[in-house]
Amino acid sequence: MTSTEVYLENTVLGPKAGGLYRHQNFGTGLISGIVFGFIGWLIGQELLQGSNWGSDMTVTVTCVGWVIGFLLGMGAFNAVGRWILGRDEDHEDQLYGAGVGQGWKRYFKFCTDHKVVGIQYLVLVMTLFGAGGAMAMMIRTQLLSPHMNWLSPQSYNALVSVHGMVMIIATIIMVSGPFANFIMPIMIGAKDMAFPRLNALSFWVVVAAVPPILGSFFVGGVDSGWTTYAPLSVQSFPGQDMFAVTICTFVISVTVAGINTLVTVITMRAKGMTMGRLPIFVWGSIIAGGLGLYAMPAFLMAQSALITDRVVGTSMYAPAQGGAGWLYENCFWIMGHPEVYVILLPAAGALVEIASTFARKPVFSYKAMVGAMMAIAGLGIMVWAHHMFTTGWAPTLANPFMLTTELISIPTGVLFLCLVGTIWRGNIWARLPMYFLYLFLWNFIIGGVTGIYLSDVPADQYFHGNMFVTAHFHFTLLGGAMVGAAGAVCYWFPKVSGRMLNERVGKWAFWLIAIGIQVTYYGQFLEGFQGMPRRVVNYNPLFQPANIMSSVGAYTLMTGWLILLYAIVHSWRNGVKAGPNPWHAKSLEWQTETPVPLENFLVDPVVTRDPYGYGEEATDTSQLTPEPVGAGSVSLGNEEGVL
Amino acid sequence: MSSENIEIDEFHEGKREEVAKQVEPFFKGGPIWKRPFFGVFIIWSFMTLIGVLIGLFVPVHVLNGSSSSQQDSVKLTIVVFTVIAAPVSAVVYGIAAYSLIKWNKRGSGKSDTPPEDGVALRGHGPATVIWLSISVVLVVILLFWGMMVLSSEQTPQGDAIRMQVVGQQWVWTFQYGSTKITSTQLVLPVDRQVVFEVSSKDVTHGFWPVQLGVQVDANPGFSTTIAASPNKLGKFDVRCSQLCGLEHAYMQTTGRVVTEKQFEHWLAQKGASPKAIKLFTTDAK
Amino acid sequence: MSTTEISEAGQHEGGGHHESPRERHKKEHMALWLFIGGDAVFFALEIFFWFYLRTLNVNGMWLGNACSKLNPCTDGLGNPITAPISEASGLYTMGVAALIIVSALFIWQAEIQARSGAHRKATTPLLGLAVVFCLAAIGLQIYQFQVLPFTTIDGAYASLFEFFMGSNLAHFLLVLVIAVGLFNRSRIGKLEHSNWYQAHLGRLWAVWVAASATVLALIATFLA
Repeated sequence: MTSTEVYLENTVLGPKAGGLYRHQNFGTGLISGIVFGFIGWLIGQELLQGSNWGSDMTVTVTCVGWVIGFLLGMGAFNAVGRWILGRDEDHEDQLYGAGVGQGWKRYFKFCTDHKVVGIQYLVLVMTLFGAGGAMAMMIRTQLLSPHMNWLSPQSYNALVSVHGMVMIIATIIMVSGPFANFIMPIMIGAKDMAFPRLNALSFWVVVAAVPPILGSFFVGGVDSGWTTYAPLSVQSFPGQDMFAVTICTFVISVTVAGINTLVTVITMRAKGMTMGRLPIFVWGSIIAGGLGLYAMPAFLMAQSALITDRVVGTSMYAPAQGGAGWLYENCFWIMGHPEVYVILLPAAGALVEIASTFARKPVFSYKAMVGAMMAIAGLGIMVWAHHMFTTGWAPTLANPFMLTTELISIPTGVLFLCLVGTIWRGNIWARLPMYFLYLFLWNFIIGGVTGIYLSDVPADQYFHGNMFVTAHFHFTLLGGAMVGAAGAVCYWFPKVSGRMLNERVGKWAFWLIAIGIQVTYYGQFLEGFQGMPRRVVNYNPLFQPANIMSSVGAYTLMTGWLILLYAIVHSWRNGVKAGPNPWHAKSLEWQTETPVPLENFLVDPVVTRDPYGYGEEATDTSQLTPEPVGAGSVSLGNEEGVL
Repeated sequence: MSSENIEIDEFHEGKREEVAKQVEPFFKGGPIWKRPFFGVFIIWSFMTLIGVLIGLFVPVHVLNGSSSSQQDSVKLTIVVFTVIAAPVSAVVYGIAAYSLIKWNKRGSGKSDTPPEDGVALRGHGPATVIWLSISVVLVVILLFWGMMVLSSEQTPQGDAIRMQVVGQQWVWTFQYGSTKITSTQLVLPVDRQVVFEVSSKDVTHGFWPVQLGVQVDANPGFSTTIAASPNKLGKFDVRCSQLCGLEHAYMQTTGRVVTEKQFEHWLAQKGASPKAIKLFTTDAK
Repeated sequence: MSTTEISEAGQHEGGGHHESPRERHKKEHMALWLFIGGDAVFFALEIFFWFYLRTLNVNGMWLGNACSKLNPCTDGLGNPITAPISEASGLYTMGVAALIIVSALFIWQAEIQARSGAHRKATTPLLGLAVVFCLAAIGLQIYQFQVLPFTTIDGAYASLFEFFMGSNLAHFLLVLVIAVGLFNRSRIGKLEHSNWYQAHLGRLWAVWVAASATVLALIATFLA
């Protein structure tokens, strides 16, 4: 078992603690979701079908029914009911809600403990990557030969679209899900997130959101790409409705999680943990949270208007009735570009922690780093139209958007400076997380430089809608952010699982991933140079060598990820037990015990320094003793606290 | 910020000199090959060289052929940007690689105890300032390059031919203005700017005459324009760059750049009256 | 050691993870503002949609001015017509906004009472009236759907008008849940003393909803 055991065993709760929630779990959620989905289907089919809106109405209402039913069955709205009825939870109810005395079952419940939510997120993210990765493999297999007949155009388009969106969902939550939940509250010395129930809600909402998008394959699929540009998406199959319902549901998760992260960090820091002492990862998480709060409503607007266009015949995006497809495109990218930084910033923050810990040096230029992250976020909301350089929308705005886009390279450069500055002159401890940091540096430079070509309007007129773009954003999102997330997994694995990751296997995975990324996406850069459009099921034989190269790379890459997954699963069960602070790091999460007790610290921590004091004071390097009072970043304030 | 925060800064201030002594000087000290600067410089030169070579040879070699001045400038842009980017990226690679080579003790990856703490270097003002200024200069260069190329390419010229491009699932149709000629193949006269007025009958398509190096979406309900200046005789491809449904992959056709005479001949063959041809090819003038 | 922690913690007043109402007020206040901020982005985009499509007037179809035999519009019953559609009556739109404003004002008054330590007998009727007016706003909004001179398929103006109404409805439902909860809690005495902050939060949300509904009503009525 992972965490909280010691603490939990001491507590016996009354037989009625938790109330209705005692009887609710993933199983009741599923049953209730299916029942409500069925009711939705009946309503759509019998009551609303008469008004000739067609199957879109039925599909949408069914999916909405599923989402609401699932969350009801999980017990997500119990607290709302209790609040209205005035039957507030007492302390026992809360302890039950946090999973006390439920063993492994709490991972299948609406559990409010942030560490449980973190682990739930980790498993969900890996599942989503597995699904998205399998789709990627099918796409790459189809593209092995120019006239491959394995997939029909319809299923190919559906795979491309759903692969894109599943991966975007997975990457948005890949760091801010597991680690901003499990690690971040401990890092700032909090007992839990500010809103533990909203925290659980943000997770289970994603779980509710996933089945519709995967189910879209059974009702014709989505044939308009992950961007689902209108008006094509208005005319698409009913799968599009399920896609849109998924997005609208997912938006709730990101909004709620963003609010929760921000409020937690602003209000729940331990004594002495000033904003100027926050670990960079925390900064990355809150900036990403705030940015998500800005970006996601735009996605909700884009997709809910798409739903009304499809289901009740409004004409926001239908030019024949006075709508405009550009409206969708603007709205989508107002979300779409900030979302890239929602993905990137937490991963970059995690990499800074890794750099500092494994170079044994303080972070280089803390303030510049935080400023750069803020600047990236600020500029990130002003660049959306660079995705629309070739749409013909407002050609006069090309130059201003070219300016803002290229300006982003300045704070991104500062991010690089801080990373290499932190490594510079450090005594490098070449453990697995450090490998991923180096891979990030290598990949993200390539992703950045190719981004410069695309920010240039004349060059974009060749590269837009072309495999070059695909390769570019895979280099940044997979080669950059996802590699960062892999580093974060390796770095925090001992804290999360209580065991050491098998780095021998992990390094095999690393090299396969590193080489796989290069081969796959160099292949796609070549395709792009040669002029192959994106999202094509068959292609000109001219592009075949590059495509074979890319497919071979993709198989290597997938093998690498699977080996990493094996290392994680295997080490979780059989790894060497880890002490509380195997990396001898100075941030707060390493100062508490492993497994982490229910409210994280046995004694409230008091912070006297920022967590990067490497080389600034005498350090006790003996392995098992945590930092003594006052010398590390924490003083435990109480002699008992020192084990 | 609270008072505790100032504590750190005071600490930092007090230690600055001490830290400065510990940091191995970047430029000075010892024989030149032992200075960090030299090692970084070697790696930097090597990576820059590779980057510049890639920039000079790879894109021009693998980029699709060019039939227009726009595509020529795309090629040039790629080369110039890569050559500019190579030394900048190489700085990051140089510092990172040098650190790994110089300050990573053999076997540290298998050790369960960390190496000793490194130098408590919490920032370096001059380095940050230099870094920032270089970025700003580069951004200005990139921006002006982009703006100049864009305006020189897209400025309408007096004798430009205007023609209509209509996308529909999944065919391109080209209309030659006043001649009322339509074709599914795009035939253009050489050395004469052509302005495409692009629109769509159903969903959004991406009009992309590949070797002409320009691209604009075909939107239903709106007309968008893009100018190209074919400068080389020969064939080129027209593809759809915006996912437009089932047969998006097959929404392609070919085009030809021909001489002015051949162009008029082709229009006549298609059934345009000599008067219309004359009007079409000269009215712009 | 750990058990003593728990028993000590258990002595605190109820509430999320044994915090005082003051702490909860601080957090929930901040969270509510952030949520309103996110909602404001959505709201701003709705208005952006309105003015974008109104300005572009694609194919002359903003108010269905370009209805023709080839491109027929419909009346409210789905029959094709070829004349431009008429605008919705501002009366209902304004009425809905007025009702929700009144509801918000009642919640506000209840908050003032609760804050000054009034007995539940003072706050409960006010909150009851807030619920009634909120229900009335919802009812009138639904009724307006029935009497509109157009349906969703009659061009961009009609689409966005109904979209505005729909987003109003979603907002009102949240106000209703909060007002009902506050009413019930006031009734059983759980809004007194330091718990007044819940009325404060409810008021903030209700005022935001009333303000946004008013802006939408003004736009939909005077800038069609």
